[in-house]
Amino acid sequence: MPIFEVFSQQDPGGPFIHAGSVEAPDAALALQYARNSFSRREDAFRLWVVPRTAIHEEVDLDLLRPPGDHRYRLGRYYRANVEKRRRLKARVADAAGAEADA
Amino acid sequence: MTAAVARAEGEIAERTAAFRAHIEAGGQVEASDWMPDEYRRRLIRFIEMHANSEIMGALPERDWIARAPSLKRKLGLSAKIQDEVGHAQLIYRVAEDLGKPRDQMFADLIGGKSKYHNVFHYPTKSWGDVGAISWLVDGAAILSQSGLLRCSYAPYARIMKRICWEEAVHLKHGEDICLTLAGGTPLQRAMLQEAIDRWWEPLMMFHGPPTPPEKDGDLAWRIKAKPNEELRQEFLDRYVPQMREIGLSVPDPACRKDAESGRWQYTEPDWTKLAQIGNGGGPASSQRLAFRRLSYEEGAWLREAVLGEAA
Repeated sequence: MPIFEVFSQQDPGGPFIHAGSVEAPDAALALQYARNSFSRREDAFRLWVVPRTAIHEEVDLDLLRPPGDHRYRLGRYYRANVEKRRRLKARVADAAGAEADA
Repeated sequence: MTAAVARAEGEIAERTAAFRAHIEAGGQVEASDWMPDEYRRRLIRFIEMHANSEIMGALPERDWIARAPSLKRKLGLSAKIQDEVGHAQLIYRVAEDLGKPRDQMFADLIGGKSKYHNVFHYPTKSWGDVGAISWLVDGAAILSQSGLLRCSYAPYARIMKRICWEEAVHLKHGEDICLTLAGGTPLQRAMLQEAIDRWWEPLMMFHGPPTPPEKDGDLAWRIKAKPNEELRQEFLDRYVPQMREIGLSVPDPACRKDAESGRWQYTEPDWTKLAQIGNGGGPASSQRLAFRRLSYEEGAWLREAVLGEAA
Protein backbone atom coordinates (compact mmCIF):
# COMPACT_ATOMS: atom_id res chain seq x y z
CA MET A 1 0.00 0.00 0.00
CA PRO A 2 1.38 3.47 -0.89
CA ILE A 3 2.85 5.67 1.83
CA PHE A 4 2.04 9.36 1.96
CA GLU A 5 4.15 11.94 3.78
CA VAL A 6 2.02 14.44 5.69
CA PHE A 7 2.71 18.17 5.89
CA SER A 8 0.76 20.32 8.28
CA GLN A 9 0.26 24.07 8.38
CA GLN A 10 -0.01 25.05 12.03
CA ASP A 11 -0.60 28.80 11.61
CA PRO A 12 -2.64 30.46 8.85
CA GLY A 13 -0.15 31.55 6.19
CA GLY A 14 2.69 29.68 7.90
CA PRO A 15 5.01 27.05 6.43
CA PHE A 16 3.90 23.45 5.84
CA ILE A 17 5.92 21.33 8.25
CA HIS A 18 6.54 17.62 7.93
CA ALA A 19 4.36 15.90 10.53
CA GLY A 20 4.75 12.18 9.76
CA SER A 21 3.37 9.67 7.30
CA VAL A 22 0.30 7.51 6.69
CA GLU A 23 -0.35 4.38 4.67
CA ALA A 24 -3.37 4.62 2.39
CA PRO A 25 -4.60 3.27 -0.95
CA ASP A 26 -5.15 6.75 -2.38
CA ALA A 27 -4.74 10.46 -1.67
CA ALA A 28 -8.35 10.97 -0.51
CA LEU A 29 -8.03 8.32 2.19
CA ALA A 30 -4.50 9.48 3.01
CA LEU A 31 -5.99 12.92 3.80
CA GLN A 32 -8.61 11.28 6.05
CA TYR A 33 -5.97 9.31 7.94
CA ALA A 34 -3.71 12.36 8.15
CA ARG A 35 -6.57 14.35 9.63
CA ASN A 36 -7.24 11.60 12.17
CA SER A 37 -3.58 11.29 13.16
CA PHE A 38 -2.38 14.85 12.98
CA SER A 39 -5.32 17.17 13.58
CA ARG A 40 -7.54 15.71 16.26
CA ARG A 41 -7.13 18.80 18.45
CA GLU A 42 -7.44 21.67 16.00
CA ASP A 43 -3.71 21.28 15.31
CA ALA A 44 -3.72 22.11 11.62
CA PHE A 45 -5.15 24.80 9.38
CA ARG A 46 -4.27 22.85 6.23
CA LEU A 47 -2.87 19.41 5.50
CA TRP A 48 -0.92 18.23 2.49
CA VAL A 49 -0.25 14.61 1.65
CA VAL A 50 2.46 13.73 -0.86
CA PRO A 51 3.23 10.22 -2.17
CA ARG A 52 6.59 9.23 -0.68
CA THR A 53 7.72 8.14 -4.16
CA ALA A 54 7.36 11.79 -5.25
CA ILE A 55 9.96 12.93 -2.73
CA HIS A 56 13.61 13.02 -3.72
CA GLU A 57 16.31 13.60 -1.17
CA GLU A 58 19.72 15.25 -1.20
CA VAL A 59 22.06 14.51 1.72
CA ASP A 60 25.48 15.27 0.26
CA LEU A 61 26.95 17.79 2.69
CA ASP A 62 29.73 18.71 0.26
CA LEU A 63 26.92 20.11 -1.88
CA LEU A 64 24.60 21.46 0.85
CA ARG A 65 27.32 22.91 3.09
CA PRO A 66 30.27 23.29 0.74
CA PRO A 67 33.69 23.23 2.38
CA GLY A 68 35.59 26.50 2.33
CA ASP A 69 35.18 29.82 4.03
CA HIS A 70 31.78 31.33 3.20
CA ARG A 71 31.45 33.54 6.24
CA TYR A 72 31.18 36.58 3.96
CA ARG A 73 27.64 35.39 3.20
CA LEU A 74 26.59 35.83 6.83
CA GLY A 75 25.54 38.95 8.68
CA ARG A 76 27.84 38.27 11.60
CA TYR A 77 30.85 38.56 9.26
CA TYR A 78 30.10 42.30 9.30
CA ARG A 79 29.88 42.60 13.07
CA ALA A 80 32.99 44.80 12.97
CA ASN A 81 30.77 47.50 11.38
CA VAL A 82 29.57 48.49 14.85
CA GLU A 83 33.08 49.31 16.07
CA LYS A 84 34.03 50.90 12.74
CA ARG A 85 30.99 53.19 12.96
CA ARG A 86 31.69 54.08 16.59
CA ARG A 87 35.29 55.14 15.82
CA LEU A 88 34.28 57.09 12.72
CA LYS A 89 31.46 58.83 14.58
CA ALA A 90 33.90 59.96 17.32
CA ARG A 91 36.32 61.23 14.67
CA VAL A 92 33.61 63.19 12.85
CA ALA A 93 32.36 64.66 16.15
CA ASP A 94 35.95 65.67 17.10
CA ALA A 95 36.52 67.33 13.75
CA ALA A 96 33.22 69.24 14.08
CA GLY A 97 34.24 70.32 17.62
CA ALA A 98 37.67 71.52 16.42
CA GLU A 99 36.00 73.51 13.65
CA ALA A 100 33.63 75.13 16.13
CA ASP A 101 36.55 76.08 18.43
CA ALA A 102 38.57 77.65 15.60
CA MET B 1 -29.09 39.35 -18.97
CA THR B 2 -30.45 35.89 -18.32
CA ALA B 3 -31.45 34.87 -14.82
CA ALA B 4 -28.60 32.32 -14.72
CA VAL B 5 -25.97 34.98 -15.54
CA ALA B 6 -27.43 37.35 -12.99
CA ARG B 7 -27.36 34.60 -10.37
CA ALA B 8 -23.72 33.76 -11.20
CA GLU B 9 -22.73 37.42 -10.97
CA GLY B 10 -24.52 37.79 -7.68
CA GLU B 11 -22.66 34.76 -6.40
CA ILE B 12 -19.28 36.20 -7.43
CA ALA B 13 -20.10 39.53 -5.79
CA GLU B 14 -21.00 37.68 -2.61
CA ARG B 15 -17.81 35.58 -2.68
CA THR B 16 -15.75 38.69 -3.39
CA ALA B 17 -17.28 40.49 -0.41
CA ALA B 18 -16.56 37.50 1.86
CA PHE B 19 -13.00 37.31 0.49
CA ARG B 20 -12.52 41.04 1.09
CA ALA B 21 -13.75 40.69 4.68
CA HIS B 22 -11.37 37.75 5.24
CA ILE B 23 -8.42 39.80 3.94
CA GLU B 24 -9.39 42.90 5.90
CA ALA B 25 -9.57 40.85 9.10
CA GLY B 26 -5.92 39.87 8.54
CA GLY B 27 -6.69 36.54 6.83
CA GLN B 28 -4.30 34.97 4.36
CA VAL B 29 -4.79 33.25 1.04
CA GLU B 30 -3.10 30.14 -0.38
CA ALA B 31 -2.40 29.41 -4.06
CA SER B 32 -5.18 26.81 -4.21
CA ASP B 33 -7.86 29.17 -2.80
CA TRP B 34 -10.46 30.94 -4.88
CA MET B 35 -9.67 34.63 -5.35
CA PRO B 36 -11.33 37.53 -7.15
CA ASP B 37 -9.89 38.39 -10.58
CA GLU B 38 -8.89 41.87 -9.44
CA TYR B 39 -6.87 40.46 -6.53
CA ARG B 40 -5.11 37.98 -8.83
CA ARG B 41 -4.37 40.72 -11.40
CA ARG B 42 -2.95 43.03 -8.74
CA LEU B 43 -0.85 40.24 -7.22
CA ILE B 44 0.61 39.27 -10.58
CA ARG B 45 1.45 42.88 -11.47
CA PHE B 46 3.04 43.56 -8.07
CA ILE B 47 4.95 40.28 -7.79
CA GLU B 48 6.08 40.31 -11.42
CA MET B 49 7.50 43.83 -11.01
CA HIS B 50 9.29 42.69 -7.85
CA ALA B 51 10.83 39.70 -9.68
CA ASN B 52 11.82 41.93 -12.62
CA SER B 53 13.48 44.33 -10.17
CA GLU B 54 15.53 41.57 -8.56
CA ILE B 55 16.89 40.38 -11.88
CA MET B 56 17.42 43.90 -13.29
CA GLY B 57 18.97 44.98 -9.99
CA ALA B 58 21.76 42.46 -10.47
CA LEU B 59 22.93 44.29 -13.60
CA PRO B 60 24.24 47.62 -12.21
CA GLU B 61 26.24 45.72 -9.59
CA ARG B 62 27.45 43.05 -12.00
CA ASP B 63 29.52 45.75 -13.74
CA TRP B 64 31.64 46.00 -10.58
CA ILE B 65 32.58 42.37 -9.89
CA ALA B 66 35.71 42.65 -12.03
CA ARG B 67 36.51 46.09 -10.61
CA ALA B 68 36.01 45.31 -6.89
CA PRO B 69 38.98 46.69 -4.91
CA SER B 70 39.85 43.47 -3.06
CA LEU B 71 39.19 39.74 -3.09
CA LYS B 72 37.02 40.14 0.03
CA ARG B 73 34.83 42.71 -1.73
CA LYS B 74 34.68 40.60 -4.88
CA LEU B 75 33.39 37.64 -2.85
CA GLY B 76 30.87 39.79 -0.97
CA LEU B 77 29.58 41.43 -4.14
CA SER B 78 29.37 38.19 -6.11
CA ALA B 79 27.44 36.57 -3.25
CA LYS B 80 25.00 39.50 -3.19
CA ILE B 81 24.42 39.34 -6.94
CA GLN B 82 23.90 35.59 -6.74
CA ASP B 83 21.31 36.23 -3.99
CA GLU B 84 19.46 38.83 -6.09
CA VAL B 85 19.16 36.49 -9.07
CA GLY B 86 18.08 33.75 -6.64
CA HIS B 87 15.37 36.08 -5.31
CA ALA B 88 14.12 36.59 -8.87
CA GLN B 89 13.85 32.79 -9.23
CA LEU B 90 11.77 32.50 -6.03
CA ILE B 91 9.50 35.40 -6.91
CA TYR B 92 8.93 34.48 -10.57
CA ARG B 93 7.79 31.04 -9.32
CA VAL B 94 5.14 32.66 -7.10
CA ALA B 95 3.95 34.77 -10.03
CA GLU B 96 3.86 31.72 -12.31
CA ASP B 97 1.64 29.86 -9.85
CA LEU B 98 -0.79 32.78 -10.09
CA GLY B 99 -1.17 32.06 -13.78
CA LYS B 100 1.30 34.10 -15.83
CA PRO B 101 3.85 31.91 -17.64
CA ARG B 102 7.51 32.77 -17.11
CA ASP B 103 8.32 33.16 -20.81
CA GLN B 104 5.50 35.70 -21.04
CA MET B 105 6.97 37.63 -18.10
CA PHE B 106 10.41 37.62 -19.73
CA ALA B 107 8.95 38.66 -23.09
CA ASP B 108 7.10 41.54 -21.40
CA LEU B 109 10.24 42.59 -19.52
CA ILE B 110 12.59 42.66 -22.51
CA GLY B 111 9.82 44.10 -24.68
CA GLY B 112 9.49 47.05 -22.28
CA LYS B 113 5.84 46.15 -21.52
CA SER B 114 6.26 45.43 -17.82
CA LYS B 115 8.11 47.49 -15.25
CA TYR B 116 11.03 47.14 -12.91
CA HIS B 117 11.97 49.41 -10.04
CA ASN B 118 12.98 53.00 -10.88
CA VAL B 119 16.19 52.69 -8.91
CA PHE B 120 17.63 50.22 -11.43
CA HIS B 121 17.33 52.62 -14.37
CA TYR B 122 20.48 54.52 -13.39
CA PRO B 123 24.15 53.95 -14.23
CA THR B 124 26.80 53.14 -11.61
CA LYS B 125 29.76 55.47 -11.96
CA SER B 126 32.18 54.51 -9.18
CA TRP B 127 32.83 51.99 -6.40
CA GLY B 128 31.11 54.54 -4.16
CA ASP B 129 27.87 53.78 -6.02
CA VAL B 130 28.25 50.09 -5.15
CA GLY B 131 28.44 50.99 -1.45
CA ALA B 132 25.56 53.48 -1.67
CA ILE B 133 23.34 50.95 -3.48
CA SER B 134 24.09 48.05 -1.18
CA TRP B 135 23.63 50.13 1.98
CA LEU B 136 20.91 52.63 1.16
CA VAL B 137 19.00 51.14 -1.78
CA ASP B 138 18.91 47.77 -0.04
CA GLY B 139 18.07 49.59 3.21
CA ALA B 140 15.09 51.24 1.50
CA ALA B 141 14.11 47.90 -0.04
CA ILE B 142 14.20 46.10 3.30
CA LEU B 143 11.67 48.59 4.69
CA SER B 144 9.13 47.84 1.96
CA GLN B 145 9.98 44.13 1.78
CA SER B 146 9.56 43.54 5.50
CA GLY B 147 6.00 44.84 5.03
CA LEU B 148 5.49 41.98 2.57
CA LEU B 149 6.10 39.46 5.37
CA ARG B 150 2.48 40.23 6.30
CA CYS B 151 1.18 40.08 2.72
CA SER B 152 -2.32 38.60 2.44
CA TYR B 153 -0.99 36.16 -0.19
CA ALA B 154 0.76 33.55 1.97
CA PRO B 155 3.09 31.91 -0.62
CA TYR B 156 4.62 35.36 -1.31
CA ALA B 157 4.85 36.21 2.41
CA ARG B 158 6.61 32.89 3.10
CA ILE B 159 9.40 33.37 0.55
CA MET B 160 9.91 36.95 1.77
CA LYS B 161 11.31 35.57 5.04
CA ARG B 162 14.31 34.17 3.25
CA ILE B 163 14.64 37.21 1.00
CA CYS B 164 14.55 39.71 3.89
CA TRP B 165 17.17 37.72 5.79
CA GLU B 166 19.50 37.79 2.79
CA GLU B 167 18.84 41.48 2.13
CA ALA B 168 19.92 42.22 5.69
CA VAL B 169 23.33 40.70 4.89
CA HIS B 170 23.57 42.88 1.75
CA LEU B 171 22.88 45.93 3.86
CA LYS B 172 25.75 45.05 6.22
CA HIS B 173 28.03 44.45 3.25
CA GLY B 174 27.09 47.87 1.82
CA GLU B 175 27.43 49.58 5.18
CA ASP B 176 30.93 48.12 5.52
CA ILE B 177 31.91 49.52 2.09
CA CYS B 178 30.52 52.95 3.04
CA LEU B 179 32.18 52.97 6.49
CA THR B 180 35.51 52.04 4.89
CA LEU B 181 35.24 54.82 2.29
CA ALA B 182 33.95 57.38 4.81
CA GLY B 183 36.90 56.60 7.11
CA GLY B 184 39.41 56.55 4.26
CA THR B 185 41.40 59.14 2.31
CA PRO B 186 39.89 62.49 1.25
CA LEU B 187 39.57 61.03 -2.25
CA GLN B 188 37.61 58.01 -0.95
CA ARG B 189 35.35 60.24 1.14
CA ALA B 190 34.69 62.48 -1.86
CA MET B 191 33.91 59.44 -4.04
CA LEU B 192 31.32 58.22 -1.51
CA GLN B 193 29.74 61.67 -1.08
CA GLU B 194 29.45 62.05 -4.87
CA ALA B 195 27.74 58.66 -5.03
CA ILE B 196 25.30 59.69 -2.28
CA ASP B 197 24.60 62.94 -4.16
CA ARG B 198 23.81 60.94 -7.31
CA TRP B 199 21.61 58.38 -5.52
CA TRP B 200 19.67 60.74 -3.26
CA GLU B 201 16.97 61.59 -5.80
CA PRO B 202 16.33 57.94 -6.78
CA LEU B 203 16.25 57.08 -3.05
CA MET B 204 13.69 59.76 -2.30
CA MET B 205 11.58 58.42 -5.17
CA PHE B 206 12.14 54.81 -4.08
CA HIS B 207 8.89 54.29 -2.20
CA GLY B 208 6.76 56.04 -4.80
CA PRO B 209 4.57 59.16 -4.68
CA PRO B 210 2.68 59.91 -1.44
CA THR B 211 -0.51 58.25 -2.67
CA PRO B 212 -3.27 58.63 -0.06
CA PRO B 213 -3.70 55.21 1.59
CA GLU B 214 -7.41 55.09 0.74
CA LYS B 215 -6.57 55.39 -2.98
CA ASP B 216 -3.91 52.66 -2.93
CA GLY B 217 -5.54 49.39 -4.07
CA ASP B 218 -2.51 47.29 -3.12
CA LEU B 219 -2.99 48.45 0.48
CA ALA B 220 -6.72 47.76 0.42
CA TRP B 221 -6.10 44.13 -0.64
CA ARG B 222 -3.30 43.96 1.95
CA ILE B 223 -0.72 43.06 -0.68
CA LYS B 224 1.54 45.65 0.91
CA ALA B 225 1.33 46.76 4.50
CA LYS B 226 2.37 50.42 4.66
CA PRO B 227 1.60 53.58 2.67
CA ASN B 228 4.46 54.92 0.49
CA GLU B 229 4.98 58.07 2.54
CA GLU B 230 5.23 56.07 5.79
CA LEU B 231 8.04 54.01 4.29
CA ARG B 232 9.88 57.15 3.12
CA GLN B 233 9.54 58.65 6.61
CA GLU B 234 10.95 55.45 8.13
CA PHE B 235 13.82 55.52 5.64
CA LEU B 236 14.73 59.12 6.51
CA ASP B 237 14.37 58.44 10.21
CA ARG B 238 16.71 55.49 10.12
CA TYR B 239 19.35 56.53 7.59
CA VAL B 240 19.77 60.33 7.68
CA PRO B 241 21.19 60.26 11.26
CA GLN B 242 23.39 57.26 10.32
CA MET B 243 24.74 59.15 7.30
CA ARG B 244 25.37 62.38 9.17
CA GLU B 245 27.19 60.78 12.10
CA ILE B 246 29.83 59.34 9.75
CA GLY B 247 30.37 62.73 8.08
CA LEU B 248 28.17 62.31 5.02
CA SER B 249 25.85 65.12 4.04
CA VAL B 250 22.35 64.83 2.64
CA PRO B 251 22.23 66.71 -0.66
CA ASP B 252 18.90 68.37 0.13
CA PRO B 253 19.02 71.60 2.17
CA ALA B 254 15.32 71.18 2.98
CA CYS B 255 15.82 67.75 4.57
CA ARG B 256 15.13 68.07 8.29
CA LYS B 257 12.98 66.48 10.94
CA ASP B 258 10.26 68.78 12.19
CA ALA B 259 10.52 68.71 15.99
CA GLU B 260 6.82 69.41 16.49
CA SER B 261 5.25 66.89 14.11
CA GLY B 262 8.12 64.39 14.22
CA ARG B 263 7.81 64.20 10.42
CA TRP B 264 10.65 64.61 7.94
CA GLN B 265 10.46 67.47 5.52
CA TYR B 266 12.26 67.33 2.18
CA THR B 267 12.26 68.75 -1.30
CA GLU B 268 9.37 67.12 -3.16
CA PRO B 269 10.76 64.83 -5.86
CA ASP B 270 9.53 65.34 -9.41
CA TRP B 271 6.91 62.59 -9.62
CA THR B 272 6.40 63.02 -13.39
CA LYS B 273 10.10 62.24 -13.76
CA LEU B 274 9.61 59.08 -11.68
CA ALA B 275 6.80 57.97 -14.01
CA GLN B 276 8.99 58.63 -17.08
CA ILE B 277 11.87 56.65 -15.58
CA GLY B 278 9.61 53.76 -14.59
CA ASN B 279 8.35 53.63 -18.18
CA GLY B 280 11.87 53.16 -19.52
CA GLY B 281 13.02 56.77 -19.80
CA GLY B 282 15.81 56.56 -17.22
CA PRO B 283 19.47 57.31 -18.00
CA ALA B 284 20.45 53.63 -18.20
CA SER B 285 17.06 52.06 -19.10
CA SER B 286 17.69 51.18 -22.73
CA GLN B 287 21.22 49.90 -22.08
CA ARG B 288 19.99 47.66 -19.24
CA LEU B 289 17.08 46.24 -21.21
CA ALA B 290 19.34 45.68 -24.23
CA PHE B 291 21.70 43.70 -22.01
CA ARG B 292 18.86 41.64 -20.53
CA ARG B 293 17.51 40.98 -24.03
CA LEU B 294 20.97 39.88 -25.18
CA SER B 295 21.35 37.49 -22.21
CA TYR B 296 17.89 36.10 -22.87
CA GLU B 297 18.59 35.54 -26.56
CA GLU B 298 22.05 34.12 -25.95
CA GLY B 299 20.62 31.73 -23.35
CA ALA B 300 17.91 30.42 -25.70
CA TRP B 301 19.96 27.35 -26.76
CA LEU B 302 20.31 26.33 -23.12
CA ARG B 303 16.59 26.70 -22.37
CA GLU B 304 15.84 24.64 -25.47
CA ALA B 305 18.31 21.95 -24.40
CA VAL B 306 16.95 21.79 -20.83
CA LEU B 307 13.26 22.04 -21.66
CA GLY B 308 13.52 19.80 -24.71
CA GLU B 309 11.44 22.19 -26.76
CA ALA B 310 11.62 25.62 -28.31
CA ALA B 311 11.66 27.97 -25.30
